[in-house]
Amino acid sequence: MSDKMNIMIVDDEKIVRESLYHWFSKEGHVVETAASGFEALEKLEAYPFELLFVDIKMPRMDGIELLGRIKADYPDTLVIIITAYGSIESAVTAMRMGASDYLLKPFKPDHLSLVMERIFHQKKLAAEFKYLKGRLDKITRFDNIIGQSAPMENIFRLIPEVAQSDTSVLITGETGTGKELVAKAIHAKSKRAQFPFIAINCGAMPDTLLESELFGHQRGAFTGAVLARKGFLEVVSGGTLFLDEIGEITGKMQIDLLRVLEEKRINRIGSSQPIEVDFRLISATRQNLEQAIAGGRFREDFYYRINVIHIDVPPLRKRKEDIPLLARHFLEKYSQETAKKVDHLDRAAMDILRNYDWPGNVRELENAIERAVVLAKSRTLGPEDLSFLGTSPVPVEMKRSLREVEKTHIRNILEQCDWNVTRAAKILDINRVTLHKKMNRYRITRESRDGSKALSAHAHPQ
Amino acid sequence: MRTPNEMIGVVPVGDVPETPINVIAAHITGYLNLPAEILPPLDVPMDAFDPRRLQYDAGKILSRLETLDFGRFGKLIGVFNQDLFVPIFTHVYGEARQGGKAALVSLFRLGKISGGALPPEDVVLERAAKVALHELGHLFNQVHCEDHRCLMHFSGSLEDLDATPFNFCRYCAEALRI
Repeated sequence: MSDKMNIMIVDDEKIVRESLYHWFSKEGHVVETAASGFEALEKLEAYPFELLFVDIKMPRMDGIELLGRIKADYPDTLVIIITAYGSIESAVTAMRMGASDYLLKPFKPDHLSLVMERIFHQKKLAAEFKYLKGRLDKITRFDNIIGQSAPMENIFRLIPEVAQSDTSVLITGETGTGKELVAKAIHAKSKRAQFPFIAINCGAMPDTLLESELFGHQRGAFTGAVLARKGFLEVVSGGTLFLDEIGEITGKMQIDLLRVLEEKRINRIGSSQPIEVDFRLISATRQNLEQAIAGGRFREDFYYRINVIHIDVPPLRKRKEDIPLLARHFLEKYSQETAKKVDHLDRAAMDILRNYDWPGNVRELENAIERAVVLAKSRTLGPEDLSFLGTSPVPVEMKRSLREVEKTHIRNILEQCDWNVTRAAKILDINRVTLHKKMNRYRITRESRDGSKALSAHAHPQ
Repeated sequence: MRTPNEMIGVVPVGDVPETPINVIAAHITGYLNLPAEILPPLDVPMDAFDPRRLQYDAGKILSRLETLDFGRFGKLIGVFNQDLFVPIFTHVYGEARQGGKAALVSLFRLGKISGGALPPEDVVLERAAKVALHELGHLFNQVHCEDHRCLMHFSGSLEDLDATPFNFCRYCAEALRI
């Protein structure tokens, strides 16, 4: 780790800014100056400074107020307060608020040197702590399953309990909620942890291929089977088999798997020699299997066999309190992976994330953050970086009538479609005539760019 | 980055004894392998004195040095016999702007009591030469060095300065093309 830092000097006195600027330039640090608290906050939003020297007495926003805002928004940024003899009390307040140190003007050059040594030591310890905490989190946090909402806490409690037994688990939840992560966590906490975890997406392959993948085959069992091959049920031996999209498998495959679960034996395709297998089955689905049973598409006996323990992973929109935690986690992840210094989300951006519906759940959130980080122009993600989410930055007001909400929604969709009624109708899943009627009823008209009313929408040729 | 045979001018600022001037010039040639010449003294800029602090503002003297006609000299180093400060610090032994054209050394604190006794004159002269070489290093864009045994290492006290040998570490020496 280099001891060269990104430093900002915040002082309304030019002479102080210049003196410290020259001093730190000689030390080889990257130095920036700001003449006010506001300028400092603006620069902090654009670039991650590690250390700020802040003068306590500044007009409009004093050093104490600036310190408070820095510690609230950028808690990792270190702050050293510069103060005169007359304001020692404020320096004490600053230390209580999280300042790393303070310097009395004028200070001895070797004193500043000593303070910098302490800061470097502090920075080193913080980096070590962060690294170790990351290691510890990986061990205790079930990898990437993150959440503090009640349903997620419940899942966290359930995982180690479920892991102790060897019974089948069915994980339900919408796409992108992290069903596979839950399965992996159960495996990792179980006594099977040192054996393989094999995940198969049943929805991604046709029945015959799935059969061959699971059971393996003898040489010559079918055209193209030039060599004998072990199936995953054999390969997984001692470990956990995770069958995703279990609702997609055919009735025949359900019977075959039911037999394996009961007998713990398989026959490779084309072989009559039974092979003992030992695995734990965890299945997952986004379908409502009870409805599938009622519709005759899923076998009831197989359902009860795979659904001994049921874990439901809630969609992200039902645990919105987890969004900030997840967003920050992905921000940190992609900030490191892409080596772009984007490590902050402003409040408006966070509001957008909170108000968005996340049909693709955590996976969609992760992708959104990755995309925003890759395209970000500054250190802080703002609403403009999330514009692709297609949401209005204005949160939905809770006290609006259905009529108002419908009107706003229609207008938003029309604007999104550049007032193409056919496309808008398609998105809204209503026909064009209905949309025209609603536009007339709500008097929705297209406004010209200068804000004046233009032609009413129904007059537009579509 | 220094250029080969770049001439260094040593400028007494105000009334400065001859010996330290000669020693500094000799060390510049000896350690940096650059020709150094002693120039006529410069009057102390009146606005550099701060009556509140009873010290001289290093920045103002440097600015004055920078306005001189450099002629055949690439860099100038002023030698001053009074106490120097920069606004945030109580004092400085020397001052230079990173990559600048002029540097300044103050002899004022270099002859102060160290360990309860006045230091011998050769120690004071050594200190002056070390500060001058250090400040010249900054003019050639060298930043502070982490190696305690290098002249580019920051010395905050006279004890630190005395503990630093007359030596540039190999990285600084390489960068200074010595």
